[in-house]
Amino acid sequence: MVTRVKQRMVISRLLQALPILVLATFIVFCLMQLIPGDVAVTLAGENASVERIAEIRQAYGLDQPFFVQYGQWLWQAASGDLGTALLSGEPVAQTIARTFPNTLLVAVYATLLSIVIGVPLGILAATRSGSKLDGGIMGAASLGVALPNFWFGMILVLFFALTLRWFPATGFVSPFEDFSQALWYATLPALALCTNGIAEVARQLRSSLVEIQSSQHVRTLHAKGLSPARILWLHGLKNVSVNLLTVVGLLFNKILAATVVVEAVFAIPGIGSSIVNAVLQGDFPVVQGAVLAMVVTVIVVNLLTDLLCTLLDPRINAS
Amino acid sequence: MNHHDNHYHNDDDDLIINGVPMGRRAFLGMLSGAVAAGTLMSPSWSWAQAGGQATLTVSAPANPSSLDPATGGSGSDHVLLFPMYDTLVNWNPATLSATPGLAQKWSFPDPKTLVLELRPGVTFHDGTPFNAEAVKTNIDRSRTAEFSNIRQDLSSVDQVEVSGEHVVTLHLKNPDSALPLILSDRAGMMVSPKALADNNNRVDRNPVGAGFMRFQKWDDGSEVAMTRYADYNGPNKLAVGAISFKIITDSATRLRSVMSGQAQMAYHLDGRQKQMIERLPTLQGFADPTIYCYQFYMNMARKPLDDVRVRQAINYAVDRETFVRVAMAGAGEPAYMNLPKSHWAYDPETAKLYSHDPDKARALLKEAGHADGIELDLRGYNDQSSVQMQEVLMEQFSKVGIRGRFRTGTIADMSAAYFGQEKAGHMLLSAWTGRPDPSLSYSLLYSGTSYFNAGQVKPPEGFDQALLDSRSSDDQSQRQQALARVQRIVMENALVVPLAFRQSIVATTAQVQGFENNLLGKPKFNNVSLKA
Repeated sequence: MVTRVKQRMVISRLLQALPILVLATFIVFCLMQLIPGDVAVTLAGENASVERIAEIRQAYGLDQPFFVQYGQWLWQAASGDLGTALLSGEPVAQTIARTFPNTLLVAVYATLLSIVIGVPLGILAATRSGSKLDGGIMGAASLGVALPNFWFGMILVLFFALTLRWFPATGFVSPFEDFSQALWYATLPALALCTNGIAEVARQLRSSLVEIQSSQHVRTLHAKGLSPARILWLHGLKNVSVNLLTVVGLLFNKILAATVVVEAVFAIPGIGSSIVNAVLQGDFPVVQGAVLAMVVTVIVVNLLTDLLCTLLDPRINAS
Repeated sequence: MNHHDNHYHNDDDDLIINGVPMGRRAFLGMLSGAVAAGTLMSPSWSWAQAGGQATLTVSAPANPSSLDPATGGSGSDHVLLFPMYDTLVNWNPATLSATPGLAQKWSFPDPKTLVLELRPGVTFHDGTPFNAEAVKTNIDRSRTAEFSNIRQDLSSVDQVEVSGEHVVTLHLKNPDSALPLILSDRAGMMVSPKALADNNNRVDRNPVGAGFMRFQKWDDGSEVAMTRYADYNGPNKLAVGAISFKIITDSATRLRSVMSGQAQMAYHLDGRQKQMIERLPTLQGFADPTIYCYQFYMNMARKPLDDVRVRQAINYAVDRETFVRVAMAGAGEPAYMNLPKSHWAYDPETAKLYSHDPDKARALLKEAGHADGIELDLRGYNDQSSVQMQEVLMEQFSKVGIRGRFRTGTIADMSAAYFGQEKAGHMLLSAWTGRPDPSLSYSLLYSGTSYFNAGQVKPPEGFDQALLDSRSSDDQSQRQQALARVQRIVMENALVVPLAFRQSIVATTAQVQGFENNLLGKPKFNNVSLKA
């Protein structure tokens, strides 16, 4: 019974995602058209002649009308072909397969760090609500939300990479090549990215826990003689877990977007730097493909979050 | 020019070599509880060994546009192409005059014939012998193939004749003594004919040349790796086993990669970073002149720039010494013509034409009927150092009554809008990266049909003839005279506002030995070795 409802939910959510995907790629395509650059000029190189540029424009179909170009891209994408990068000639799917795991590793790492550090801080603040410690943690959390990732990243590099030499300052190793190396390289970027996440998790968890502690059923539990620790661990956390999960899901999406800047600071060959380079040079197949991959990831993460929420709290209606 | 004037270094390198493995141990300690220790302890991380087997790791500023010399479009490709493709002709790093390459000798029996004598015993990386046939295949491909981006470089070649196993004769449409130096660039990079045939003419992702390094892999936007070609028997003395180019677009990150010891070398660093490199005891710094010139392009089809007096006024208005000091942190050479002092075709007389003279600038504007000054639509790029340059120049312009506002965007956007069909703006603050032979620069910059002549304005009287003359003699001093005439016409008619030549700023760890900058500003690694 339950599984069939869940299946229906998953299928309907995936169907709903299709128009979102089309809309997202269409908007990106429009934006790329608005940028006044011309990839044909870049391709023709430094010795460009006017004729050569026209030749290239024709060869790559850049002289076609706007809707024809988008339609062709969409048709190909629907059949699983994301095209090839105009500048490097690499299949876009291959670019994504090479760069996205790096970005995902950093984003997942940062999200995990946010949880591992943020949850205890949130609990600590909630159990000592109103105390100096609570004030201190929440103050630090406000700071954490306000810190720009790239700036914090540079501070981390200065201290941990250049002064202490514990971590590499730049570069990356693919997690498929050597996972421990990849983790080592991803640590500073993940730390730079997780400041906002820690703050977010701690603040949300604290406010949910404080709210629950003042609720009637917790008062009842107190009255029944349960120890505060048991109430917190058994009932409090279980009750806020749905909230927390929602926060973490949103957080992951936010961190994924923020990797773009951090990748530049640490020279990580991730999907963010691919997008930035491709946008700068007008290489729209790469931009389109990479954005598509990001949007799909966000949709999948949201779907997983919802599914887990219904598992944790059966009262949430799957429809 | 003394090439090593600006070479400063330090010998304290232990910090780099020993620091990182320690750091890793500390990190492993931290993680050992969380992750299975067995996988972590496998020592896959190892620093480049010194000596002949070592890997030279270089932080490069840009992903190559292609690894096929004929189809690439970006000037930053060369640094990655040079190790893999030996060129027919080389140049002297300090003056850019031509020296032997794969062609050990060349001669012009008459002005319209160039005979190249090739070095015997050379093979491409796939074992194909390098001979006259291979040269013919390459030159014919580069000058005729539809996809070639260097057809214009070889436009003077009419026919390529194989005159012997190791002798090639180029029959020319018109005298072109610029060809030897043109053959030191993309057009002279030799690709294995077998690789071209096997891959249907596409070698951009699997290049096969005859250089001292052979291609290993290219991860887009991340890394290009090469290993030493064991059968190389040319003049390059590179003593490392491999080169790995890590693509890092941000120059601050590039410098950090050398500071942390993850790369042994970073090039194309900013002038502003020069002082920082000097202060770092673990690094060696190189700062040498290049032919890369910051300049204003002018659309001379647009009023008021169609008036030569206005263009001259702009040239007088610029204080180039101050520009270099303030906008380039001193890491440059003021430019009064298209070539720097150290270049073989530099003309000291032309360079005297425009000293900083605000009074003269105002007088010229008045004479041209702009007593109240002029208003210009200026274009430029939006990165930090470009904006800084724009601020300095606006300040200098305001003193002579040149008003206006810079509109900025990315390089691709702004240059496409300026040079392309839109023809936006009066002047574009950009740069010219230079060509090994100056005549190629002049024809690309000022010919009536060239893309970089935004207004497509016909060059002044005498320009075309002087350019032809510069290509009709093989004698360097005669060429120098003809090129001086070209340059004089360019500057007297103020076809450009040259500002300053950029320095090639390179930082290496103390391990790196034998590196030398070149005037082209595109580092070669021919003689580099790594100290133990």
